[in-house]
Order: sequence, then structure tokens, then C-alpha cells
Amino acid sequence: MEDYEAQELEFWRKLEESEMSRSQMLKRSVAAAAGLTVLGTGGSAFAARQVARAAAPPLHGKSVSMAQLVANAKKEGHLNTIALPPDWANYGEMMTTFTKKYGIGITNDNPDGSSAQENEAVRSLKGDSRAPDAVDDSVAFAISGAAEGLFARYFNTNFGTIPRALKDTRGYWVGDYWGAVSIGYNSNIIKTPPKTWQDLLKSDYKGKVALNGSPLTSGSAIAGVFSAALANGGSVTNVAPGIDFFAKLKSSGNFIPVQSTPQTVASGQTPISIDWDYLNLAYAKEFPAAAWKVNVPSDGVYGAYYAQAINATAPHPWAARLWQEFMYSDQGQIIWLKGYSHPARFNDMAKRGVVPKALVAALPDAKIYAKVKFASPSQQTTAKAVIASQWPSKVGA
Amino acid sequence: MSGRRRLPLAWIVTLPFFAYTFLFLFLPAGNVMTGAFESKTGGWTFANIRLLFHHPYIDAYKTSIEVSAVTAGIGALAGLAIAYAAIRDGTPRWVRNALTTFSGVAANFGGIPLAFAFIATLGSIGIVTQFMKNQLGIDLYGNNFTLFSKTGVEIVYLYFQLPLMILVIAPAIDGLRREWREAAANLGASPWQFWRYVGLPVLMPSILGAFILLFGNAFAAYATAYSLTSGAVNLVPIVIGAYYTGNVLDNPHFAQALAFGMFFVLAGMMLLYIPLNRRAARWMK
Amino acid sequence: MKPRRGTAVSAYVWLALGGLYFFVPLLATFLFSLKSNQTGKCCTVASYTWVIHNGDFWHSLKISALLAVETIVISLLIFVPTIYWVHLKLPRLRPVIAFFALIPFVVPPIVMVVGLLKVYKGSPSWFYAQPWGFLVAAYVILAFPYMFFSLDAGFRSIDVHTLTEASQSLGASWATTLTKVILPNIRAAALAASFLTLAIVLGEFTIANLSAFHTFPLFLQYVNETQAYPAAALTLMSFALTWGAMASLLLIGRKRGDRASFVTGARGAR
Repeated sequence: MEDYEAQELEFWRKLEESEMSRSQMLKRSVAAAAGLTVLGTGGSAFAARQVARAAAPPLHGKSVSMAQLVANAKKEGHLNTIALPPDWANYGEMMTTFTKKYGIGITNDNPDGSSAQENEAVRSLKGDSRAPDAVDDSVAFAISGAAEGLFARYFNTNFGTIPRALKDTRGYWVGDYWGAVSIGYNSNIIKTPPKTWQDLLKSDYKGKVALNGSPLTSGSAIAGVFSAALANGGSVTNVAPGIDFFAKLKSSGNFIPVQSTPQTVASGQTPISIDWDYLNLAYAKEFPAAAWKVNVPSDGVYGAYYAQAINATAPHPWAARLWQEFMYSDQGQIIWLKGYSHPARFNDMAKRGVVPKALVAALPDAKIYAKVKFASPSQQTTAKAVIASQWPSKVGA
Repeated sequence: MSGRRRLPLAWIVTLPFFAYTFLFLFLPAGNVMTGAFESKTGGWTFANIRLLFHHPYIDAYKTSIEVSAVTAGIGALAGLAIAYAAIRDGTPRWVRNALTTFSGVAANFGGIPLAFAFIATLGSIGIVTQFMKNQLGIDLYGNNFTLFSKTGVEIVYLYFQLPLMILVIAPAIDGLRREWREAAANLGASPWQFWRYVGLPVLMPSILGAFILLFGNAFAAYATAYSLTSGAVNLVPIVIGAYYTGNVLDNPHFAQALAFGMFFVLAGMMLLYIPLNRRAARWMK
Repeated sequence: MKPRRGTAVSAYVWLALGGLYFFVPLLATFLFSLKSNQTGKCCTVASYTWVIHNGDFWHSLKISALLAVETIVISLLIFVPTIYWVHLKLPRLRPVIAFFALIPFVVPPIVMVVGLLKVYKGSPSWFYAQPWGFLVAAYVILAFPYMFFSLDAGFRSIDVHTLTEASQSLGASWATTLTKVILPNIRAAALAASFLTLAIVLGEFTIANLSAFHTFPLFLQYVNETQAYPAAALTLMSFALTWGAMASLLLIGRKRGDRASFVTGARGAR
């Protein structure tokens, strides 16, 4: 099949970029082949049932009519998603609206899973009806997943309106939304709002500043380090100043190494939390008692985006594509915007004047966002290595 | 009873056990142990193991061993005292039942709920912290105490170590027959002498076994320390977790090497345990 | 004859200290759970009603409860005879098994589940796709260290050889000896082991998470990551539920134990 051949070519091309060697590749393909023969009967019977049910899912959203896409998806009747917390960029509303609109139920696994776990689920549950149909990965994992052959190519109807920098031109993944690192604070407890990274060093904030996890594991915390680096003479290629800043924050007693969670935010144990803007803004809505307010630090604006990909062996391939179509329709993009994130098609929609002013006003100042910097996956990998080696000794207990 | 002829039959009874552990323990675990010696490019290597001895990994082992030993030690002693207090003659029966059932629950209380329970208690605005500041005039955080540290982790770990000890040692305390205590008293022994010469020696094998269990329990604990300190306290499971659950998945073989290192430490403990146990149990038979 | 010893002061002190240490964090959680989302202050039961009206709560609880029972039964069936036999005939094997019992601690659940999923992917779907098969198999292994050390302590505290010889000289078969003589005497240890297993199953997160089964701990974690006050309410409710389950285990154990045979105060003070 043409898709498979194209995947293979892509695969060997990516071999130079990836860290895997040819022998390991051969070993993996032998293992895969062995696995496939073991699964043979179950898998092919399953596939046969699928073929009997509907035609092969399309490569281009434009090549089938919406009505047919919906009809085939409804025949499959269900969608498996993974790692989509309902209060993360308003995924909750995204899922309930999808179900209401198309009558297709969604099972959402492991709401707080990481991208690594999402790809692992695609690998481990291959051929199982519980496998995720689509994933929402950080870009690094979207790229490695595509190289590994975990994803199917799909060009949704609005693919052309997504900025080139936010998608894989071969169709393996598309950026969905981006956000910037922000400083959220409890305005009942914090009387002078922190607006910049420099502000955080003030003595008023002793024992009050927390990250959402550790930069050794949490994407949000890693972004916090990037953002601090940008504000302290570093760059996306040099995160050491960010680590040093946190070391300073820790020695001054301002930084507490506890993970900020809804409970610590609501209780006031972490009155200042450095986290993605869409998460901090969601806290503001969820916990009125905490009087949570959000600033994007003007001296270091770091952003990152996540990417959608469809499982190459999805148990519900038509539903998976319908899900993507929905998310990238104007309606879906606005749902993400309601979740305080910047959806991928924001510029296109703003040009056409379909973005509700109220939603834009709910976000921090657009001028600050204009300064946003993103790090490429290879820059992120380098940074993670630096963090892994320096953070425990400089900031760890 | 022909010892020679019985032996093969004797082993057969243990067959289901070995079959089960082989299928569900050794196969997956073997993957880890051999994986520790593989390199990312597919060959065999000691590089992963050698890396274990460098900072910050060797520090992670030191901290993990320290935290585990401290919580196992305090857990064993305090757990023994509490268990005995509940089981001995004179304490109403319901106390023992309440304690054992509670211990069953608390022994597996962990992760975010436990971390938050202690944050709400001893965190910078926790109820005990505030009580001590307002009512007793003791400012914990002003005196450089913080829950989000190695000490804090130890305090919190005791919450599941103590119950585990209580559960494991209670049946052994039952074995301390009342008659012995009475006989000792009749011979003029003080409670302290009873413990020194009768009680503790009898219980020692079980105490040692319980210590090992508590040590292993603390050594492998992950979720609680992570929620409490966000990984700031350098512990081996947290380092392993960083490789598997986060967005830093880089070298799974190194994570397996870390697990292998854990295995090594626990094996070392067992090697210490065997002769100690033999000495402790010697006088019983 | 010396009069029955009264309650010693030291016993009360220890119990009081232990009680305080265990109770205060729960109290702190309770006070937090009563706070309202709007004002951040006391007092409302809204968090509790949120939990009770949540369908996932009941669904996942049912699954986990069944998993726990299944794990306990299978664990006891495998481990009690084995440890009994080892104590009786193969004492040299004991340290070996004790060593094996430490392995589940060493292999982090995250590593174990990846290994398990790889090894058992081709197995029939009644085993692999259902929590009752695959997950229970993993949970029995997780319970293994706790089962072993508890049962081991229990077997140590009774005189296995005397009991067995006495029972066999009275003409009992192995099965009868095991069920009617040995088991009642290690009742406390078996119950402790069952408690621990129950708690493990109701608290195990990683394996269930990565193999995509919707157990109670997953629900707990989800609420803890997304809600503030209901999370505290749920923590206490799950604590109370597990405690209730333990208490019922205790009652079940006691009913059968009342007909146990007695051998020289092996059951200690009572």
C-alpha cells in the first residue's frame, strides 16, 4: 500500500536524525514481525471485520464528504483518547461537545499521562480495542513517534491554514495549540503582583514560589526553566542561566520544591505557581476563593505547542479522523481558545474575523505574546540533558 | 521417614509457586536486569552501571538508603512499641482490632493524598504549624524546618512504615506467650529484664524480617516523595521515574541499570540478614 | 498467683503518640474537605456530594473491590501452602524465597508493567484485555513480599512440626491438617497479609494506569490532579471504605476462627 511504502522511505531518511542504529532497527523489525505473527490471527480477523465495516480511511479530509466521514465514524461508534485532562485547554468541553454533536462516546484514558506514556500506550496496546485512537504529544514525541511508525498520515480539511512551523508537512502530526509560561498568583495572599522573573526574587515572596512538578519530568517545569533562562541572559540554546536563577530563588528561600496542584493552589500552600498560561487561567476560573490572577512575565516569554497525531493502528480510524476534523474546525479552535490557549489556526481565524473579542480579552496582553520564543525539539533535548545534570546539584535538596 | 526419598516429592508442592513467580515475576524482571547491560545502540556494555557511581546518581542511592534505613529503623522500633501496647494484656481487645484494621489501610496510604494530608498539617500554613506558632510560640519554618526536604520525606514515610510494622509484628507478638511473662515476673525479673533476655531475643528474627520489609518498602516508594518535594529530594525511584514517566525518556537502559542498582542494594541487605537471622533464631531450637 | 496486670502507663503513652501521629493529618484533610469552592472557608458538604454523585466513583470502586477479593484468594491459595511446606520440610529454601520476595520492590511498577505488557500481548483476550486476568496476575506479585513476610512471621510463631505431627498421628490428611489445624493458627498472619493485599490493590496506580484499566486508584489520582476540595473528601471516603473492608475481613476471619483447635496458647494472650 502506498502509505506503507511512503512511511518506509520516510523511516530510513529519519534514521540519520534519530539515535537508533541500523542493527537496532533490524532487531526491532524482527521483534515486530514476530509479534505480528503471534498476533496474526487476532489482528487479521479484527482488520477483516474493519474492512467489512467500512472502506479504508482517507488520507485527505477533503477527499471525502463530511457526511460520509460522519457516517463511517458513527458506525465505529466510539473514540479512545488519552492524556486529555478536562481542564487542560478546555479539553473537557471539546470532548462533551464532540459527543453531543456526533453521538460518539469518548473513553479518555490516563488523563494526566505524559507524551512518553501516550506513545507507549500506542505501542503496548497495539491491536487492542483499548488502544488510543489519537494522541496529543509534545513535539519531540510527535516526531519520534512518527519516525517509529506509530502514526498515520492525515491532512485534515483545514491543514493548509495551519502555519508551516506548527505542522509536519508529510501529515504525521499537526500542532494543536500553544501557550506561554506564566506566573499565577493568589491575590488574597500576594499583595504586590509579580510581573517579571526579576520580581520573583523579592523578599515578600519567601516560601511562596512553586513549579508544576520537577524539570526532570514535567514539561511545564522544563518550560519554566526555559522562560527563566530567557529572562536572565540565556536563550533557547542555553538554559543554564535559568537553572542558576532557580538556585538563587531557592537559596533566598522563595522557592519551595512542592508540586503545585489544584489542592495546593486552592489552599494557598503555593500562592505563586509557574505554569502554562492556559492552566493558570483555568485555575482562576475554577477556584474563585483563591482570587487567582495570571501574568505572563514580560522579560522571558517562552512558548511551546502540542501536536495531534492519529494512531496508525487505531481501533476506530474514522472516528479518529472525525475527531481531528472537529478540533480543527472553527468551532473546535474556539473551544481551545476558551480554554485560554492559542489554537494553531488563530491567525487564519483572526484574519477572517471569526474570533470572539471577549475570548481574546480574557487572555493576557497580546503585545507580550508577540515576543514569544519556541524551542525546537533538538534544542529541547539538549536543554533536558543540561537540566538533568545540573538541576539536582544546584537546586535539588 | 526416609529423607532421601521424600525430597523430590517435597519440592513438587512448591511447584505452583515457582511457576507463578517465573511467569509473572522473573520474565518481566529479567528484562530489566539484562536491559541494564545493554546499550542504546544494541550491544552489551557496563557503561550504564559505571554511570551509577557518578553524581548525582550515587547521591541518589545514598539518600535513598539513608531515608529507607531511618524510616525502617524508627518504624520497626516505634511500630513494635505501639503494637505491643495494643496487644498486651490489660489493653482492651477493641484497641488491637482498631489498630490492625487502621494499619491495613494506612500501610498503603501514599502518593498525592498522603503528601497533601501532611502539607495540610505541617506545611507552611498547615494546621499544626499554625497551632505551634500561635499557641505555643514555636515558629517551625522560621527555624529552618521545612516539610519539603529529606526530613519531611522521612516524617511522611513513617505514616506507612509504622502500620506495616504493626501488621507484620503483631502475629509474632502473639507468639510471646503470656506464661513466659508471668514466669519471668515470678522469678523476680523486671519488665526491662524480661525484654532483654526473653522478649526481644524471641522476636528478633521477626523484627529483622520486618526491618527488611520496611526498608524495601521505603526504598521503592515513589509517588509520595514526588508529590511532596517535586523530585527535589534525590531518590532512586524518582530518578527512574524521570526516565519512564516524564518527557525526558532518553535512555531506558540506564533506567534499567538504576533498577539493577536497587536490586543490588536489597540483595546486600538480604546477605546481611541471613547470618543475623541465623544467630537470632539459634537459641530457639 | 499474680493478679492480672493492669494497663501500663507506657502502653498508653505509645498508643497516644501513635494515635496523634495517625489522626492529625487525617483531621487536616477533613477540615480542608469542608471548605467551599467559592469562599475557601468552612463549611459545606458539597465536596462529598460531588463524589457520591459521580458515576465513575461507583464504577471504579466496584472493579477494584472485585480485583482485591480475587487477588487475596489467589495469593493465599498460592502462598500459604508453599510457605507452610517450606517451614515444614524445606527450611533451606526460606532465604531463597525471602530473596525472591524482595524482587517486586526492586522492579519499579513502571518497569514491570512494560515488561508484562510485552510478554503477554499475544495471550488470549479473556486474560489480557480483562482486569480479572492480567491485572490480578500482576497484583499477586505485588502482594508477594507482604504476603511472604507476614505469613512467615506467623508460621514462625507457631510450632509447625509439632502441630503437623500431632495432626497426622491423629490420622488427618495433608489437606485436613492444612485447613483445620495450621490455617486457624496462622489466622492473624493470614488476615494481616490479606489486609495488606487489599490495601495494595485499592492503592495501586501505575500498572492499572499503563494497561488502561479503570480502577479506583486511577479515579482517585484523576480527582487529585484536577479538583481541590473534592480530592480531600475522596481521600477520606476511600480511607473509610478501605477501613470498612478491613473490618469486614476481620469479622469473616473471626467467625471461622472460633472453631479453631487450640495448642498450648500458641495464639498468645487471648
